[in-house]
Amino acid sequence: MMDKLKLAVFELTDCGGCALNMLFLYEKLFDLLEFYEITEFHMATSLSEGNHYDVALVTGTVSTQRDLNLLKEARNHSEYLIALGTCATHGSVQASVELPIREKLKAVYGDGGNPMRALDSKPVVEYVAVDFALPGCPYDKEEVYQVLIDIAKGIEPVRKDYPVCLECKLNEYECVLVKKGLPCLGPITYGGCKAVCVRSGLGCIGCRGPLPGEVNPASEYEILKSLGYDDEYIIRKFKTFARWEP
Amino acid sequence: MIIEMREFTRVEGNGKAEIVIEDGEVKDVRLQIIEGPRFFELLTLGRHYYDVPDLEARICAICYLSHSVASVLGIERAFGVEVPEEITLLRELGLIGEFLESHALHLYLLVAPDVFGYPDAIRMATKHGELVKEGLALKAFGNRIRVMIGGREIHGINVKPGGFGRYPTVEELEEIERESEALLRLAKRSVRLFAQSDPYGAQAKHFVATDGYLWGEKLISDEEGAFHYTERIEEHSLVYSFAKQSRYKGEAFFVGALPRLLLKSEMLTPTARRLFEEHREKLETGYVSYNNLAQAIELVYSLEKANEIAKTLLDRGIEGENVPVEPREGEGIGYVEAPRGVLIHHYRIDASGKIAYSNIITPTALNHAMIEASLLEEARKLYGEADERAMIGRLEETVRAFDPCISCSVHLVKL
Ligand code: SF4
Ligand code: SF4
Repeated sequence: MMDKLKLAVFELTDCGGCALNMLFLYEKLFDLLEFYEITEFHMATSLSEGNHYDVALVTGTVSTQRDLNLLKEARNHSEYLIALGTCATHGSVQASVELPIREKLKAVYGDGGNPMRALDSKPVVEYVAVDFALPGCPYDKEEVYQVLIDIAKGIEPVRKDYPVCLECKLNEYECVLVKKGLPCLGPITYGGCKAVCVRSGLGCIGCRGPLPGEVNPASEYEILKSLGYDDEYIIRKFKTFARWEP
Repeated sequence: MIIEMREFTRVEGNGKAEIVIEDGEVKDVRLQIIEGPRFFELLTLGRHYYDVPDLEARICAICYLSHSVASVLGIERAFGVEVPEEITLLRELGLIGEFLESHALHLYLLVAPDVFGYPDAIRMATKHGELVKEGLALKAFGNRIRVMIGGREIHGINVKPGGFGRYPTVEELEEIERESEALLRLAKRSVRLFAQSDPYGAQAKHFVATDGYLWGEKLISDEEGAFHYTERIEEHSLVYSFAKQSRYKGEAFFVGALPRLLLKSEMLTPTARRLFEEHREKLETGYVSYNNLAQAIELVYSLEKANEIAKTLLDRGIEGENVPVEPREGEGIGYVEAPRGVLIHHYRIDASGKIAYSNIITPTALNHAMIEASLLEEARKLYGEADERAMIGRLEETVRAFDPCISCSVHLVKL
């Protein structure tokens, strides 16, 4: 039998969701284990083997010197590195707190300086080249499964190139932006989540980050303005998950 | 001399510990939360209240719904909004889903490998596949409830001030009723498994919980009288940790499944209560390691309670009506029992509905001093007796018994 690929999961600063979501694959995780052997995944195993990985998944933002060191280690020792989840691809919520790190630390911990060497939170893609970026807060688990299977079979995984809106149409969800006037970011957000929030009758909050390309944030902005939302509200909403773009 | 433990495994988030040895004795232990700060309170300052619960959910994936619900409760209290019983019951159902998902993850995938001597559940599955499958079944059921109430397995946005985006259907509630009954057998088996282990860690002296089983208006402790956290709990920063440390009247205290059982056993469902009585003597010693057993008993509670709530809702029928929410200037605190203990969301909101002050204290931050005390006690017991690797292994288990969620402990702000 062919040797299994070595798979690592590295967690920087985050909510744990993108690592946890791997465990939520349930039986599919065992299917993946036909192709992969997990050699580093500290939420799930006490083993930590090896210093070479075929595929490394990195979740979270770089928010400390420790994160940065770990990220560089991961990059140096892996063939194929995936920035997994919106923290890693766009910075997600923690990167949207717009104050210099010194001031943030002061607000939280008082005047003690920065003994733990915190950095301003930034996505993984700001520091290293990644082979694939899979956004989502958290990402859709079917999607990561497919990406890992593709890699194992030697196929370069494809990036989604359509907005959440399209998934509403496919699922025949009523448009909450037009019908209810909710501030939905579906038209400008990376699809791939099956528009799950619109299924609940709620507006997309943009957790998969902005879709680059031909989408039109300016017209989304105009629509929200015409619905009565003020500038500050709209801009903060736009920037909540993505101050950085990969 | 300092013995450095490597980063903890099979816990959520990034943390480690140092054991300080002086003159051949364990002098001190420092729990270092090295996960970076995420500044959640700053993130929510100035934001419209309606968007806040969805953002606070991102504090922690394992218990996102506890954060959404605590946030919603804080906001509703600030505005003086009262919701009908239907909405309360559905929120409770969501919290139960989270207990099932989180406790099953902790007991079967993180702790059980210690019991059987494996580095992880995946490798344990070769010999104990049945057990791993049972754990996954409980966890998956908990997640199905989270999808139903919360909107997604992780970070759903369905829980809103005044109600929900979408309400469950009759078919979904019938599924809960059926499945909760079918899975009860597995939960009872987990109680037998986790009742066997020997105690380790410290014996906690103080316990704190919310005044209702799953959430509350105030906190209770082993002393007289319900109280607000500001009356008895204080936080301070440490130079070696991104998490602050909290103390109850100056002393370490314990929040979590064991404190809940010890303070609120009369609120348990019948079988859970019987199991509590059966193991009461053990549990009352207060050893932190019995938190695992307590979580197993709570699996039983959760299934029985889910069944009861589904039945009640099916009998009455679901209205699916939200309560209108009008912003006004106010202050409110949401107290919720997250799977790993008391969670506090405290807000002041201005007349336009924007957050003017926010303070969040999470279970792992509340337990920080207790985790250190337990490590110290265990290290003193083992140093010089066991070899270093065995000692460190046991210390990791001691940390694990708290079911710490490290990401969630790192973002406190006082303004
Ligand atoms: S992207 Fe979202 S779910 Fe993933 S780790 Fe970051 S905060 Fe958590
Ligand atoms: S609908 Fe929007 S907010 Fe919801 S999961 Fe999809 S991208 Fe995220």
